This record gives sequence, C-alpha cells and structure tokens, in this order.
Amino acid sequence: MIKGIAAAAASPLLTTPLARAVSVDDLDPLVGELTLYLGRGEGGLYENVLEAIEKRNPDFNLKIRRGPTAALANVIVAEAEAGVKGPDVFWAVDSGAIGLVSDAGLAKPLPADLTDVLQEEFQFERWAPVTGRIRTLPFHTVRLQAADIPDNIMTLPDSDLSLGWAPAYASFQSFVTAMRILQGDAETQDWLQRMEKRAKPFAGELGVVMAAERGEVDVGLANHYYTLRLKSGKPDARVDLAFTRNDAGCLVNASGVLALNDNEVTFNFIRYLFTTQVQSYLAREAYEIPLVSDVNPPDGLPPLDTISPPKVDLTLLADLKPTLDLMRNAGVL
Amino acid sequence: MSFTTDTTRAALNGRALFFKIASVFFASAFFSHHAAASGAIGDHVNDMSANLDNYTEEVVWLIGQVDVIVDTYENEGTKAAAPEAVVDHWEAVDFHSAIEVNYIPLYASIWQGLFGVRVAIEEGAPIVVVRAEQDKLEQTLWQSLGAVKVAAQYQERGLLPDVEATTPDSPIETLDVIKQRLDRTLAKYAEKLDDEAIGIVQDTYLNLFEGIEGMLIEQDADLVESLEIDFNVALPKAIQDGESVDEVRAVIEGMKDKLDRCKTLLKEAQEQRSDVF
Repeated sequence: MIKGIAAAAASPLLTTPLARAVSVDDLDPLVGELTLYLGRGEGGLYENVLEAIEKRNPDFNLKIRRGPTAALANVIVAEAEAGVKGPDVFWAVDSGAIGLVSDAGLAKPLPADLTDVLQEEFQFERWAPVTGRIRTLPFHTVRLQAADIPDNIMTLPDSDLSLGWAPAYASFQSFVTAMRILQGDAETQDWLQRMEKRAKPFAGELGVVMAAERGEVDVGLANHYYTLRLKSGKPDARVDLAFTRNDAGCLVNASGVLALNDNEVTFNFIRYLFTTQVQSYLAREAYEIPLVSDVNPPDGLPPLDTISPPKVDLTLLADLKPTLDLMRNAGVL
Repeated sequence: MSFTTDTTRAALNGRALFFKIASVFFASAFFSHHAAASGAIGDHVNDMSANLDNYTEEVVWLIGQVDVIVDTYENEGTKAAAPEAVVDHWEAVDFHSAIEVNYIPLYASIWQGLFGVRVAIEEGAPIVVVRAEQDKLEQTLWQSLGAVKVAAQYQERGLLPDVEATTPDSPIETLDVIKQRLDRTLAKYAEKLDDEAIGIVQDTYLNLFEGIEGMLIEQDADLVESLEIDFNVALPKAIQDGESVDEVRAVIEGMKDKLDRCKTLLKEAQEQRSDVF
C-alpha cells in the first residue's frame, strides 16, 4: 500500500511546500508520444488542460483513453497482467482508483522535484494529487448561520435540522468509507441508520445543494464545488458552506496522477499539471482546490487555515464493497 | 483518440460497440455499432448496403404478416388472430436490429405501432380502429426502411466509421449522448421493458448529466433544476405510471429541447472561458 494523505488532525489544510510551483515557461517542451488514461470528470475542463498542453507542444503526440475512473484502473491492472502495453500516465478523478493501480505494483516513483511543489501532506512517492475537493455541509442561509450547524458529523442526525443527502453518489460513498476508516463499521452503520430516518434522499449532490438553497432542507452533505458554482451563477443564492472538524464530514479527497513508466517525457508531462497556470485554471474554472503554493483557492471557500480535515489514507477509499454492504444493511441503498 | 467499450442490446442477446458518429447531422439521430461475433445482432449491420434487399423483403413480409393477422381478426375475431404474433414476427427479422442501431426514434415508433395493432385487437376494437393502427405501423416501417437506406449510404462512404466510443470527449458530446440515451429509453418503454427504460434514465443521469450539470448551473440554475426534476421525477414517474408512449415521448422531447438550450449555454461558456496558458 502506498502512503496516503495524512493531513494533520486539527491542523490547517495547507502547509508550506518544499518548493514553489513553476511556470509553464520554465518547463522543457514535450517531444514524443504519450498515452494517457483519463478518468472522466470535471465536465471537460481536464480536456481543456490537455488540449492546451498539446497546442503548446507541437512535437508531442498525446493519445487519450477516456472512461470511468474505476473502470480504467481495472483495465490498467488487467493489461499489465496480460503483458499488454498500457498507458504511460493515469489521471484519475479520485484517489481510490490510484490505490488500486498502486497496490498492483504498477506505479513508478516520482522525481522529488515534481512532488516537492505540493504541500507536505500531499507528497507521496508513487502518486501525486493534482487538485482537491472537500466535503461540506451546505445550509439554507435564511434560517441558519454557520454557527448553528454541528461541527461533528457524527452528531448531525441528532440535531433538529432537516437534512438532505445523496447516498448513491460516488463521492458520498467515499465519504462513508472514510467514516468507516475513522470511526469503525459499527459506529458508521449506526450513523447511517440515524441519518436514514432523518435525511431526504437525492439522486446527486447538486440536487442536495439546490434543495438547501430552496430551503427544502436546512442542511445537506455535498462536495464544496456545487455550492460555489451555484453561487457563481446565482450570487444571491440562499446557501452557504459549513464544515465539521477533524472527521469524515470535512474529508479532503483528490484527483491524482501516477506514472506507469519512468520515461522522461512521462515525468515532464506530469510536471505540466503542477504548473501555476494549470493549477490556477482548475481552481478558477473547476473550483478545485490547488495543492501547490502560490495559487489561490477558488473564490468562495472560507480561509483554508480554518479547515481541519481528518487523517485518512485516501488510497484506501477504493475499498467500496464493505461500504456498500454497510449501506445496504442500514437500509440506505 | 478514443477507445471505449459498452454493452448494449440485452433484448437481442448482443453485445455491441457503438461507432462514433462522423457527421454532425448524424450525431443527433443516427448511430451504428459493431456486432460481436457471437451476437444476435449480426454482422449485417456492419454492411448494410449488401443487405438492403433482404431488409426490403423483410419489411414487405412483416407488413404481410400483420395484414394476415388483421384480416383474421376482421373475419374470425381476436383469438383466431393471435395478435401477440406481431412481436414474434418483428423480432424474427434482421431489419429489427438494423433500425435499432441506426435510428432509435423510429425503432421506438415501430414498437409503438406493433403494440398499437396488438392491443387494439386484444381489446376487441372496431376494425376501422385496428386498420388505422395498422396503417400507422406500415408508414413507420417504410419510413424506417428509408432511414436504413440512407444510413447504409453513409456507412458505405465511410461516414459512420467504426471508432469505438461511447464515452463522450466533451460536454457538448455528452449532451448528444444523453439525447441518444433518452431515445433509447423511449424505445425500451415502447418495447414494454419498463425496468430497463428506467435503468437507462438513472444511468444517464448519474454517469452523464451529473458530470456536466456543475458547469451548467453557473449558466442557468433554473434550467438545471428543471432537468433535475425531469430526470429524477417526471420521466421515471411517467414510465412507472404506465403513461402512453406518446406521453412519455412528450416528456423526452421536452427534455431534449432543454438539453439543446444547455448545449447553447455550454458553447457560449466555452467561448468565454479563460485560456489555460
């Protein structure tokens, strides 16, 4: 098992990296061919990044295979077992899939200069988180203030607030997996059962956020970017973000990248993803949380040093089956 | 470059890979796919020009079989007519899969027509009503044969290349795929496969629409909310409540209009988006 994210408990989200992120102008041009497996996500913004890299490097031939992240991870492992040449790079929208490939021994160590630009909590030997997203509690601002929201996710179902959630949503299931890791199965199942009696289900987390905005529920559970995007398009939206402290309710998950060979073009390509320009673009357009220095977080996130994410090995989040079993036992799925 | 697989057509026992649509015109309506070696769809869909005579013979035969059933109903009544055979006859012809992989909206209409004749006979409707249903079915079958002939020409000219791609490369393509999936939903509903139809709706929402609605909500939150309701309430409810095919089609057409509006908004947003470098 590769080392996972270990954001220090009750410590600020961000710490100082060993090195500053570089500008794309400081990188060597990409020359040659590279095959990338790209987990689908972010509505095409990753594609814009890749197109820009290709446009900037006319002697670089990028082949892309796209698909659901988990499926691509399984394909990579299967191709390796069959002796078939797979990708040079895997860019996954969630770190659980990264763990699946790493556990198969397929990820190559990354050069130190590449990972040193990341905050210390996000530096790993064989993969690099590209950008982050955080679990939040969007709430209806007409009736509530942030101080009214429990800062302990485990006590949320004991409150008198009306709740909304999307149990079938992949990010929610990763959050439940993190809760299992942090609190154990029994406590998690109890939490699910208590929530199930109180929470209104939605198909997706945007639906949860919109329900909170309408006042249909007081509080929801969702990734941060839905609320930020809604507020971007609707500045008077009656919803804001609250955060729990040091529990799965404020889990920071990440998209991630790993190298399947140690060719120089492979590492150089990955370096492009950590330039100030790409990190800024993903923060600005996709509302993702940059994990390098000198790049501002997306507008609308509270000061990051007020957020205290839990210590969780994100690569363990690929272990979904026990989570799904638990959710079914709790009557949630 | 894309290379992705998908599984389709449980009803025909076939696994298939969709062709990527070559022309913009065909992107919204026509699509084709490979047939697996063991699949019941058959290789004929990959060489439709060579099979047009067969398709034509099948359509003529099928219309004749339906006519026999309706004549029998007129002369001897429902039991002698055995109207359930219209579905068996339809499933027996190769043309069935040719139209399904090329023009799913008409495929849905054929099923609607088949059940229109069958149900009218089973309910003992006046012969004039049954003949009206028969006429609608015949018109749809001829229209479908025409669509397959056009698709065959495009296929022959290499405009339906067999690039394996069911995973769209962009939000705009995603919207096109969503519309195709909605057409397929209607087809399955018209086939009386309600659970499969609802499964397609749910899968389309979670795996396609959900991935682009974050971008859309920045452009038009009300539009996204309306589509949220359509995907999660209106369409599943219309199917579960057993509404007519025309009523379900109306829901889907309304959703497709909204998706077209989404496409416009996303194009505008893309044009205004800042550069990466």
